[in-house]
Amino acid sequence: MDFKFTDEQDSLREAARDAIGRNRTEPVPGDAVHNEKMWQALAELGALGLPFPEDAGGMGAGPIEAMIVAAELGRVGARTAYADTLMAVTLLGQDELAGAAMEGSRLVVPALYEPMRAWSPEPARVTTDGSALEGVREPVPFAAAAPSVVTTARGDDGIAVYAIESPTFDGARLDLAGQSARHVGGDAHLRQALNLGTLVLAGEALGAMESALGLTVEYLKSRKQFGVPLMKFQTLTQRAADMYTSLELARSAIYFGAMSLAEDPEDDLTISRMKVITGKAGKHIGQEAIQLHGGIGMTAEYAVGHYTARLTEIEHSLGDTRYHLGRLAARVKDYGALDLVG
Amino acid sequence: MERGLSAEEAQFRQEMREFFTTKVPQEIRDKVAAGEELTKEDLATSHKILNEHGCAVPQWPVEWGGQDWSDLQRYIWLDEMQLANVPAPLPFNANMIGPVIATFGSEEMKKRFLPPTAALDIWWCQGFSEPESGSDLASLRTTAVRDGDEYVVNGQKTWTTLGQHADWIFNLVRTDPNAPKQQQGISMLLIDMKTPGVTVRPIQLIDGGHEVNEVFFENVRVPADQLVGEENRGWDYAKFLLGNERVGVAPTGWIKRKLASAKEYAASVAAGDGTLLDDPLVSARIAELECDLAALELTVLRVAANSHGGKPDPASSILKLRGSELQQDVLELIADIAGPSSLAWSDADGSEVPEWAHNATPVYLNFRKASIYGGSNEVQRGVISSGILGLKG
Repeated sequence: MDFKFTDEQDSLREAARDAIGRNRTEPVPGDAVHNEKMWQALAELGALGLPFPEDAGGMGAGPIEAMIVAAELGRVGARTAYADTLMAVTLLGQDELAGAAMEGSRLVVPALYEPMRAWSPEPARVTTDGSALEGVREPVPFAAAAPSVVTTARGDDGIAVYAIESPTFDGARLDLAGQSARHVGGDAHLRQALNLGTLVLAGEALGAMESALGLTVEYLKSRKQFGVPLMKFQTLTQRAADMYTSLELARSAIYFGAMSLAEDPEDDLTISRMKVITGKAGKHIGQEAIQLHGGIGMTAEYAVGHYTARLTEIEHSLGDTRYHLGRLAARVKDYGALDLVG
Repeated sequence: MERGLSAEEAQFRQEMREFFTTKVPQEIRDKVAAGEELTKEDLATSHKILNEHGCAVPQWPVEWGGQDWSDLQRYIWLDEMQLANVPAPLPFNANMIGPVIATFGSEEMKKRFLPPTAALDIWWCQGFSEPESGSDLASLRTTAVRDGDEYVVNGQKTWTTLGQHADWIFNLVRTDPNAPKQQQGISMLLIDMKTPGVTVRPIQLIDGGHEVNEVFFENVRVPADQLVGEENRGWDYAKFLLGNERVGVAPTGWIKRKLASAKEYAASVAAGDGTLLDDPLVSARIAELECDLAALELTVLRVAANSHGGKPDPASSILKLRGSELQQDVLELIADIAGPSSLAWSDADGSEVPEWAHNATPVYLNFRKASIYGGSNEVQRGVISSGILGLKG
């Protein structure tokens, strides 16, 4: 067991922090807006192809590196299609669209949600007869930027993956009927894509939680009420200590998720645990960060609430705490004692 | 970053597993599993077997019986011990006074005390808390006045765990009542419990057990060579004692063992047409606790790798905080699983209810102590907020 980063990984973090910091825009409430300047900076950094093999057009690094970049995005509240694109590339496999996605010449996102349907990795009402698709995907992330889309559909031979290069959207809604879709393959990569996407989202959450706590600690030191800094009140500092505890426990789980996927990209048991831990920590830290700030935490001009908004979004992406806990609960009978290191 | 154990570490784990599950008597391990109170003989038998195999005090310096193990090896040692329901080596000896003497004691003191401390030929107890000094330990009032080659000790200690079995007590005493700061007037004395003037009185706890005591000192004359280190430096030694251990702060192997048992217990309780383990609320609670446990255990492994040689570290506070909370959560779960079968504590002849269910409530109640002793969780949060976050109240 080794939790240390290599020198190369530390350098990557620095480079990502620098590039992301130069291209970030102030967060605004509401749906995420695609920032093409940021996207090109990430492409230039190699971030979009980071975990993929070099012979497939990637950088030959792995999930640990992708998590590092994601944490830097989360730290400054930059909402991008990073997790989406890495998932899309995984699903696309050998398809030519994957190369364009990694280069940043084409924004490609997965469309995996169905309107008013709880999360499931398996399509229910999206179907295929082998050529045409039927059904609706909504919401599709970053639809306003007119991305290409990768989606799954249920057919006679199980779940298949399709690429739609130039879909026609109706807001964030994508009616698949009549769209020109290309069959990419089966769902062999679906689990890997979901695991990687969930890890990247958790990495982003880690950065967001760090910043939310950091802002809160600074605020407790500087804000005065009753003639003294807020940090004189134990009812506040004890809660900040709990936030820190949540953060550090989540950090361990997220690092472990990354090293687990580096060894076995199919390890969804570890990823579900990580998502549960991250979900609980994100909710705790996000809520307390606003509360300990008081009124200023509610304002759009102050950063802290935006972190909470993003953490909430991450909680509801790719299966929430309830979903992943349910998946874990169904498996508790399969083993006795937890064994993480063996 | 790398997941998993190397071949050597896996081999070490196998050896530890075999040792703990074959050399420590099954009868003792069954009692631990069922949450029964261990006798002095049980604890001594287990400790001595561990010591004979170099597994009682591995964290000590090698020359005094320690092992040159990595942090990960020490983690594996502890994890396997707890998974096998082996009682820990007596903490007052192995984790508390032993390392203090090894670090701050004179050569003479080391020779006199360390070998019998490792072998449990001396049973130690801890004289820290007093009736008026709980979390505010530095306000302690037991005094030691130098008189020739002796100190004369007067005062009272409390919460002295297993003091009824103890041969010796390591005692914090006030040697300089005029020190500018309370912390600067405290010394650590080693006192033979048989010395005239020492009285032990039991305290019964809410689980019905007798685990802790009051200890009274009335003109107790203690040879001056039983002072640890220097006079008035006792606070430093106490801080070292409470904060030098990171690997063992959170009993993750114990929690793991209990959670695995909770599954077996739930599968043995009928509910509807199946068992409690089929109940989605019960399995979700188990799954959630496994997530919490995973996060804690991974944090133990992560911070152990960064430990800096014996210095108190605020990161230990996270482990103490979450470790005690999770211990309590898993015992709460087990008591809930036992449900109505937990209502009779005593195990009368002919009972169809297994031992663990009779014990579930007293064990649950007993471990409410975990978030109070060794620095309460509120104190730990204070250490985190001031020591790590820089929030100075």
